[in-house]
This record gives sequence, structure tokens and C-alpha cells, in this order.
Amino acid sequence: MESKNLTTESSLKIIAETMERSRMTIAKNMGKPLILWGSLVALTSVVVYFLWSKTGNPGWNLLWFFMSIIGFVCTMLMDRNKEKAPDTEVSRIIGKIWMWFGIFVAGFYALIWLAYLIIRYFDLGTSVSADLTLIIALAMGLCGVITGAVMRMKSVIVSLIVATAVSVVVALVVAGPTKILVFAVLGVLGLVVPGLILQGKARNSQLAA
Amino acid sequence: MEEKQITFKPLDPLLHSELRLAVMSILIGVVEADFVYIKSQTGATAGNLSVQLDKLSAAGYIEVEKTFKGKKTCTLCRITGKGRDAFAEYVETLKQYLQIPKG
Repeated sequence: MESKNLTTESSLKIIAETMERSRMTIAKNMGKPLILWGSLVALTSVVVYFLWSKTGNPGWNLLWFFMSIIGFVCTMLMDRNKEKAPDTEVSRIIGKIWMWFGIFVAGFYALIWLAYLIIRYFDLGTSVSADLTLIIALAMGLCGVITGAVMRMKSVIVSLIVATAVSVVVALVVAGPTKILVFAVLGVLGLVVPGLILQGKARNSQLAA
Repeated sequence: MEEKQITFKPLDPLLHSELRLAVMSILIGVVEADFVYIKSQTGATAGNLSVQLDKLSAAGYIEVEKTFKGKKTCTLCRITGKGRDAFAEYVETLKQYLQIPKG
């Protein structure tokens, strides 16, 4: 691109084309982590359900911890390989929403362990009574709805509100391993679908260009 | 009959150049962008891009920050408030030009 002078029409064309090209590069890169984390959550949920049902051991929930490690490693590898794209205010907000969701879940899990240890240490004769699935499903649904709102995707907002409502009812009514499947639904609707929509938009725009 | 005279605002000469305009169009939509990204999006040569970035920076339209990413140097560019205003005014002026029927 030369630094030559322009006509008014070509000036507007440059502005429109450059903005659109940059926007689509960013959209394509923004979709990938959403798809990755959504797929990992859905897959882990199904695996935990399967193993917990087969063995009757809720200890398989520790797989969530390994999922987060795999997710971080994959994100780092993806960042290294992908075409570098800058942050927009929207991508920065979405990144922060899900980062704080991760911190919330990890912190909540740590607090439950702390409560459990206190009960054991002081022999309080009670047990930790917290419905992890319910609380995390609510938080995940909320983060997904905010993601949809920030991206201005009404279909994502509506499907997530429905999915979160169903998940909450399931979490309240169902016990045992079946409960864990709510994360598969929320992972797909809250993360994979918005990610695919973003990538689809980027691909269509590139084909049209 | 008195002829109505239309006065045109002049276009900002700093923005009325293909590469500088493309750079500003990228930076207006992002928090900040590195040199490599701007180069790939505009298809400009490194030398030419550096010169144009310096001009925009000297006018106070963008901020240029030189940092390190690991061992590699990284040049980050971000639009300033002044640059944002200038870009908005440039687009408004362009619209004004286009609204006038030709001939």
C-alpha cells in the first residue's frame, strides 16, 4: 500500500475495507478459545458422567482440574500459532468475563475444601452442604448471557437463558452423576455456539471479499 | 438571483493518504495493535509503515510504545483522543463532499 493521495470515494472504500478486514481477523481469533473451552467442558462433563455412573465414585470430578490444565496448555499453544490479532474492547470484556468465572469456580472449590477441613479438624459433626452444580451452572449461564449481550447475539442470549433455567431445575431435582450433564449443555450453548457463530461470520466475510 | 455558495471544510491532509488512513481505520476499532499486525493488514512495507506511523505519532494522532515480547521487540500503536476526533471529523467531511451532486 502506497502513501498516495486519494479521491473521496476511494478514501471511504479504504476505511470500510480496512475496518472490515481487521474486524473479521479479530472475530476469527476470538471464536477459537470459546470453541476450545466449550468443547473441553462438554467433553469432560460427559466423561465424568460416564465414569461416575459406572464406578459410583464422585472422585472422578477431579477430572475438571485436569481439564483446566489441558485448556490452559491448548490456549497457550493456540496463541503461539494463530495469526496475531489485537484486542478490541469487546474481546477484552469477554476474556475478562470468563477469566473471572474461572477464578470464581476455583475460589469456590477451594472454600468448600477449607470448610470441609474445618469441620473435620474441629469435629463439628456437620457436613458441607453446597450444591456445586447448581451454583456453577448459574454462574456459567450468567457469564454466557453476558457474553451474548456483549456480542449482540440475541439467539445466544435466549438459548442460554432457557438452558440455564433447565439446568437449574435439573440440578435441583436430579441427584448423582446425571446432574453433571448440565455442563455439557451450557458448554455447548454458552461457549461453542457463540464461537462458531463468530468464526462463521469471519469465514463468510472472507468468501465475500 | 443570488447564488448560494457552499463552503467545504478541507480534508485533513495527514489522514488523506492511503496508508495513514488504513492505519487509523485499524486503530479506531482496537485497544492497541502491534506493528506486525498493522503491516499484515495494510500490506505495506516495513519502511513505509514506520515513516507513516512516525508522522501520525508526531501529530499526536497515535501513541507508539516500544516494548519486548520475550526477547523480541514489539511496537505497539494506539489511537489517542485527538486522533479519534480527527478521524471522526475526516469521515464527516468526506460525507459532506459526497452529498454534493456532481456536475
